[in-house]
Amino acid sequence: MSGPQPVAKLEGLCVDYRGADGWSRAVDGVSFEIAPGEALGLAGESGSGKTTVAYSLMGEQRGASRIGGGRVLFQGRDIFSLPEKDLLALRGRSIGFVPQNPMASLTPSMKVGRQIGEMLRFHAVPAPQGVPARVVELLESVGIPNPAAAARRYPHELSGGQQQRVAIAMALACKPDLVILDEPTTGLDVTTQKRILDLLAGLKRETGVSMLYVSHDLASLAQICERVAVMQKGRLVEAAPTRSLFERPRHAYTRSLIAALPRIDVPPEGRLEPLAAPAQDALLEVDDLRISYARGGFLGLGRPSSGSDTVKGVSFTVSRGKTFALIGESGSGKSSIARAVAGLTAPRDGTIRFNGQPLPALARQRPMHLRQKIQIIFQNPDSSLNPRKSVRSILARPLRMFGTLDAAGREKRVIELLESVRLPASYAGRRPHQLSGGERQRVAIARALAAEPELIVCDEILSALDVSVQASVLQLLETLQRERGLTYLFISHDLAVVRWFARHIGVLSDGAFCEIGDTETTLSAPTSPYTVQLLEAVPRIDASPQIVT
Amino acid sequence: MSKMVLTRLGMALISLLAVSAIIFWCVEFLPGDAAERILGRNATPESLALLREKLHLNLSAGERYLHWLTSLLSGDFGTSLVADRPVLDYIASRIANTALLSGFALILYIPISIGFGILTAIYRGRFTDHAISVIVLIFMCLPEFVIGILLISIFAIKLAWLPPLALIGSAQSFGQLVELMALPTITIVAAMSAYAVRMMRESLIEVLDSSYVLMARLKGLPKWRVLLFHALPNALGPAINITALNVAWMIGGVVVVEAVFEFPGIGRLMVDSISHKDVPVILAISIVMTGAYIVTNLVADLLVILLNPKLR
Repeated sequence: MSGPQPVAKLEGLCVDYRGADGWSRAVDGVSFEIAPGEALGLAGESGSGKTTVAYSLMGEQRGASRIGGGRVLFQGRDIFSLPEKDLLALRGRSIGFVPQNPMASLTPSMKVGRQIGEMLRFHAVPAPQGVPARVVELLESVGIPNPAAAARRYPHELSGGQQQRVAIAMALACKPDLVILDEPTTGLDVTTQKRILDLLAGLKRETGVSMLYVSHDLASLAQICERVAVMQKGRLVEAAPTRSLFERPRHAYTRSLIAALPRIDVPPEGRLEPLAAPAQDALLEVDDLRISYARGGFLGLGRPSSGSDTVKGVSFTVSRGKTFALIGESGSGKSSIARAVAGLTAPRDGTIRFNGQPLPALARQRPMHLRQKIQIIFQNPDSSLNPRKSVRSILARPLRMFGTLDAAGREKRVIELLESVRLPASYAGRRPHQLSGGERQRVAIARALAAEPELIVCDEILSALDVSVQASVLQLLETLQRERGLTYLFISHDLAVVRWFARHIGVLSDGAFCEIGDTETTLSAPTSPYTVQLLEAVPRIDASPQIVT
Repeated sequence: MSKMVLTRLGMALISLLAVSAIIFWCVEFLPGDAAERILGRNATPESLALLREKLHLNLSAGERYLHWLTSLLSGDFGTSLVADRPVLDYIASRIANTALLSGFALILYIPISIGFGILTAIYRGRFTDHAISVIVLIFMCLPEFVIGILLISIFAIKLAWLPPLALIGSAQSFGQLVELMALPTITIVAAMSAYAVRMMRESLIEVLDSSYVLMARLKGLPKWRVLLFHALPNALGPAINITALNVAWMIGGVVVVEAVFEFPGIGRLMVDSISHKDVPVILAISIVMTGAYIVTNLVADLLVILLNPKLR
C-alpha cells in the first residue's frame, strides 16, 4: 500500500497495567494504519484492549499503566515523546474524540454551547462569524433542532441522542484529521442508534475525516468502516476490508463473533419447541394495566389522574412454558410492566392474574408460595448481586426463604444450581467482583432458579453483556425452558434477539401496545408504522459501505 | 425556588419560637434567680422581695415567658436584669465583635479549604498530599482551646510576635486590630478548615476521575481550565454543605475561643449571662445564634442549587 502518509500508525504497541500481582500486558504488539479519509473499525469484547488502544492514539494513559513497547505515530510524530504543550495542541485540534457515554462525559455544570465554544477559543480556530455563531452552526450540522436554543441548555436538559450529537459536534469543531469514536452508540435506543450512525456516515462523506471506530457491535462497525480490525486478549487477530471480513473471516475468533451476532435478516432456525409445555393454558394474564409515577393531589395523597400514566392500559396473556417479549424504546413503559408483574411497583389500575388467581399488587402483600413462583432477573448483575456476599450465600438465600432444606441439603442444591447455569462448583466461594459480567448474570439466573419459579421476568438482562456472552446466556435460558417448562416475560429493546427467542411479542410505544401477536407474523409483516421503523433501525451487516481495496 | 425559600423562612420562625421556649425552661431549672445573683451576700429577705417585684420575678414562669413573647412581637427584647439596660443596646456591640471575628475567620477559611483541598486532590498519594493531610488530621483531633493555648504559648509568649489577649477595644488602627484578632482567628480557622479540606479532597478526587474531566483533557484544554471550570464547580457542593455544619460549630466554638482570648464577643456574654441568670439576654443571644445558623444553612442550600443546574 503505497499512498499518502497514514494519519495514524501503530507500530507494535504494548501497554501494561499494574494489577495486584505486578504488571500484566493488556495490549500486546498491536500494529495498524489509518489512511486519510479512511474509517477503521476496532472490534472486540470488553477487556480485549480496544479502548486502551483508542486512548493511546490520543497520548492518554489510563490508570496505572505504562507503555511496554512500540510507538504511536500521529502524522509521523511519536505521540508519547511529544512535550505536554504539543500534545495539548494536538488533542481536540487534530484528534477529535466521541466518548461512550455522553451524559457522563459532558460537564454537568456548563452549558453545552460553552463546552463547544471553549475548544474553538483554546485552539484559536478562526471563526470569522464569531464563536457563538460558529457553535450554533456546528450544532445545526449534527442535526440538532433549534440549535441556538440547544446551545444554551445544560447537558441534562438534552436527550441521550442529542447529547451524543453535541459530543460529535464537539469532536468535529476544530476540523480534526482523525476522530476517535469509543462505542458511540452503546446505550442508545435502536432508532437513535440508527440516526447517529447515519449522521456519522454523512459527516464522513462530507468532511473526509479519518475515523477510528471502537465497538463491540460488529453490525454498527459494518455501517461506517471500510476496514475492520479484530482484537482478542490484547492482540490484533485479524484486520481486513469489511466485506471480506464478514464473508471470509480467517480467524476462529472472528468467526465466533460473527456467528454470535443475532441476525434480524435471517429467519430463525433450529428453535426447539419446549417439550414440557402441555396445553396452551395461560399462566399470566395482564388486563388493562395502568401505571403512574406521578404523585396525585396535595402532599401526594389521593390518586393521580389518568393523564400522567406511564403505562396506559396494557393487556396481554403469557402461555405456560412460552416466552412473551415486550419490546420498545427506553421510556416506553416496558420495565414498568415488568416491575408491576414482579410486584415491585403498584399499578394505578388494572389486574394481573397468575394461574387464574388475581395477584395482590405488591410482592410483600403476596403469599409466600406466589412470591416463589414469580422471580425477576435484573438488567445489571453488578448492582443486583450483593458485592459483600459469596455466590454460595447469594444462592442459599432463596433456598432458606422458600425451602425446607438443611445446611447440607442447601450446599448440595447450590452446587446443582451452579451446574445448571454451566458454572463450576468452585465458584460457590467467590464473590461477584471475581466473576466476569456474563458469569455474574448466570449467578443471577441461578438465584432466580433457586426459588423454583414458574415465571421468570427478564428485564433487559442481556444489555450489559457482550454479543458472544449474550448468545450463550440466551442458549442457557432456552435450554432451561425446555427442561423445566419455564415461562419467560422477556423485556428487551433488541429486535434480533427477540425474534430468535420469543414466541409472542408485544411492541410498546409510549405506554401502549401498537402491535401484539405471534413474533414471526408480527416481524415479517408488521402493520404498525412504529414496528416498521424499529425494524429498519436494526443495523444490518449487508449494508456495509463501498469497500476500499 | 422562591417557594422553597419562603417555606424555609416560615419553618425558621417556628424553630426560633421553639428554641426560645426550650432555653427559657432550661434556665428556669437552674438554681437561684437573678435577684439573688445581683444582691449576693447583701441580700436580706426584704431587699430580695423588693428586687424580685421590680424585675417581675414574682410572676409565674409561664406569665414571664408570655410577657417576653408579647413584647418581642413589638420589637422589644426586654431589659437586661443585671445591667439594667435594653437588651438590644447591650448585646449589639458584642454581636458586632463576634461578627467581625467570624468574618475574619471566613475570609481565611474559604481560600484555605479550597486551596488545600485542591492541592491534596491533585497530588493525591504523593508527599504534598500526605504532609497536608497529616497536619489537617492533627487539627481535627485537637480541641480548639488546646490550639488556642498552643498558639498563645508559641506566638505570644515565646516569640512575642502577637498579643495573647484580643482586647479589641484598645485597637487604634486597622493594623492593630488585625494583630489583636490574628490568634483567635487562626484558632477558629484551624479547627474549621480541617473538615472542609478533607471533604474538598474527597469530592474533588471523585470529580477528577469522572468521564467529563477526562473528556475535557482530551479536548486539549489547559490544566487550569480543566480544574477551575470543569472539575471545581462540580466538587464544591459537599464542601459547601460541610461549611454550613462548620458555621454551626463555630457558633458554639466561638464561646470557647472567646473565653481563651478574653475576646469581648457574644459567646463570653452568653457565659456571663447564664451565671447571672439574666434571662432576657440569654434568650436574645440564643435567638441571634439560632437565626445565624438557620440563615447560613439556607444560604448553603441555595448555593448548592445554584451550582448544580439539575437542581435549578
